Amino acid sequence: ERGGNNSFTHEALTLKYKLDNQFELVFVVGFQKILTLTYVDKLIDDVHKEFRDKYRNEFQQKGTLGLLNGTFDFKDDFMRLLRDAEESSKVRAPTVMKTFEQSLKSQKTVKCMIETRGEKPKEKVKTKKNKGSKKEGTEAVAAPGKAPAGDKQPSAAGDREELTKDEILQKNREEFFKRHMKAGEKSSKSPKPEAQKEKGKKPRVWDLGNSNAKVLDYSNSATNGSTEACPVEEFDPDTALGDRNREPGRLYDLEYESDDEAEEEKVIQNPSKPSAKKGGLGGMFGMLKGLVGSKSLTKEDMEPVLEKMKDHLIAKNVAAEIAVQLCESVAKKLEGKVMGTFTTVTSTVKQALQEALVQILQPQRRVDVLRDVMDAQRHRRPYVVTFCGVNGVGKSTNLAKISFWLIENGFSVLIAACDTFRAGAVEQLRTHTRRLNALHPPESHGGRTMVQLYEKGYGKDAAGIAMEAISYARNQGFDVVLVDTAGRMQDNAPLMTALAKLIAVNAPDLVLFVGEALVGNEAVDQLVKFNKALADHSMAQTPRLIDGIVLTKFDTIDDKVGAAISMTYITSKPIVFVGTGQTYCDLRSLNAKAVVAALMKA
Amino acid sequence: KMTFFPQLLTGKYRDTQTSITDSSAVYRVSTDKSANVTLIDLPGHESLRLQFLEKFKAAARAIVFVVDSVAFQREVKDVAEFLYQVLVDSTVLKNAPPLLIACNKQDVTMAKSAKLIQQQLEKELNTLRVTRSAAPTSLDSSATGGPAQLGKKGKDFDFSQLPMKVEFVECSARGSKGEEGDADFEGLEKWLAKIA
Repeated sequence: ERGGNNSFTHEALTLKYKLDNQFELVFVVGFQKILTLTYVDKLIDDVHKEFRDKYRNEFQQKGTLGLLNGTFDFKDDFMRLLRDAEESSKVRAPTVMKTFEQSLKSQKTVKCMIETRGEKPKEKVKTKKNKGSKKEGTEAVAAPGKAPAGDKQPSAAGDREELTKDEILQKNREEFFKRHMKAGEKSSKSPKPEAQKEKGKKPRVWDLGNSNAKVLDYSNSATNGSTEACPVEEFDPDTALGDRNREPGRLYDLEYESDDEAEEEKVIQNPSKPSAKKGGLGGMFGMLKGLVGSKSLTKEDMEPVLEKMKDHLIAKNVAAEIAVQLCESVAKKLEGKVMGTFTTVTSTVKQALQEALVQILQPQRRVDVLRDVMDAQRHRRPYVVTFCGVNGVGKSTNLAKISFWLIENGFSVLIAACDTFRAGAVEQLRTHTRRLNALHPPESHGGRTMVQLYEKGYGKDAAGIAMEAISYARNQGFDVVLVDTAGRMQDNAPLMTALAKLIAVNAPDLVLFVGEALVGNEAVDQLVKFNKALADHSMAQTPRLIDGIVLTKFDTIDDKVGAAISMTYITSKPIVFVGTGQTYCDLRSLNAKAVVAALMKA
Repeated sequence: KMTFFPQLLTGKYRDTQTSITDSSAVYRVSTDKSANVTLIDLPGHESLRLQFLEKFKAAARAIVFVVDSVAFQREVKDVAEFLYQVLVDSTVLKNAPPLLIACNKQDVTMAKSAKLIQQQLEKELNTLRVTRSAAPTSLDSSATGGPAQLGKKGKDFDFSQLPMKVEFVECSARGSKGEEGDADFEGLEKWLAKIA
């Protein structure tokens, strides 16, 4: 589920990998971290292609037995590809910086100084524009006042001179016009496209990015009624203009086409139409093709579905960055995969996303607190659990619930009141202790008090109290010590240091982060900063980080259960308990499938 | 697991890597030429094993649970936990496929015997069912109906209490003669022939 980024660092090595989803292969390249090899990506792509082509038959026909029996003698091919990649990276040597003499600027300024004042600003701006243009052979253009050569370029430069004082936007527009005019000189051009180009131009002025253009672009939509495929155009690729200018041009293309079915040849000739790179499949046939037959998934197919899924997840209170990363990893996992018949892109993507979510929520290591407590019992030492979190998430309440659960299972609990800051914190715990003892009187447990509170009042050092509490528990034979700490914001550096010190010094068996289910994007920040603080202030080689999560106030959210995903994704630690209310019995464990079902429900 | 797979199928030894997906192939039982079984090898990585178990548990006609006899002492808790999850799964309980616990790596000197492993697992599973049933109920407990009870209440857990047939077998995928030696898994093959 973390397949979004494709590199992994371990000690001195960096590994980059590529997935082939069609044949279920993984290609891994390992190299030393300190070397920055630019050809790695290209190499892995080349290896992937060659290997797949060479052994395609074996994969398809023989299946697993083919894999087992076949010999994959790829070494020679690999060495060859490696050599090619290394060569290509060397060839592209860093461009030598032009010396001052060679640069245009020196030539320009000297000449500028010679010219009269009036023309000076114009020349300067013109040089700026000239350098900005990607056309080669600017030497000819550089010389001002020289009679422009017969080719188009100086004429364009000459035209541009008049535009120096306009906005850059309008300048570009003019350039676009002029380029098309020049191109139009080659073949006859009807005035209609030009007029429509004006119309198509206007939306571009408000465009801020490609995404808007995509929305306006009707060519990909499967609901488009026309059945012709867009012709692939030859457009002059040397234009300095980006994609933005091409989209509006393409808009009018379709309308123009739908009028004139028979005139496809004319359409092809007119070079003002940009190449339809995305080549939307004509509506009807495209849709049918999507349903039947084996189609391999491309990124473009999955884009719209993934966008929708991402928005859906965010609406369900999953942190935005997590949703993005999840969708990316699903895309990576499905790219190139061959879909079965009668499965739509939407269903495949949904299925993959569901699996990824279940995978995230399912605890990877065991989440059995009772088992660990039994172990600690056998070694005659108390099992120490520390609760940490920001203000007001429900640490003390859930601590009481957990101690109730432990007592029900026959373990004696010592509560350490290490919240020495908040008014009433110690009293709160004292009340809970009293209540729990009333529920489980010592008589019914062989004469020993099941719950006891260890407190030293307010204003003292929390780490010290915790240490004393643990040794007291060891002497008195308590099974579990629950340490309650003060709530603190993750940005509060001194408090985070104090918490880290408490955990580092006392080495608890379980560090639980208490987070409320209502939290949204904040969850990411909280967990990252808490973990960072714990890691930074620990002296040990392997610092104690958060071991588990307690998700509280779960009853306040209906099905916006995204916080669970955010938290487990960030820490990769399991959700140990879920708090669903304010009485002692409102303690649950997580059911991954139910949560994912609630998440995916529309 | 991955070492057994090609050896059962082709008789050759192959170096293996950690797998991230399942592999399946058809295996011809050696004693009875007409019987065929499809062997499916599932990855054992802790983040993947549950996922693949879910996928294949309904189709399983029998289950081979491979145990590392050398590392068993250290990993007994994890092994027992996974075995517990396999055993209490409602689909598995319903179908009750025969279960073979293959104690692998017997060629290494420190390997525990099958009998010892059986005893240890029984003890551990005994503890586990207590702790698991005492765990806080799941969020959606009405749907699942709580964890199933393993074995008989009141008595210590025993493999004979399970609804399915459980057998223990010792085997070695590598063979005592080193890497290229003949693997010693006749017990495994015999059991496969039996259930085919």
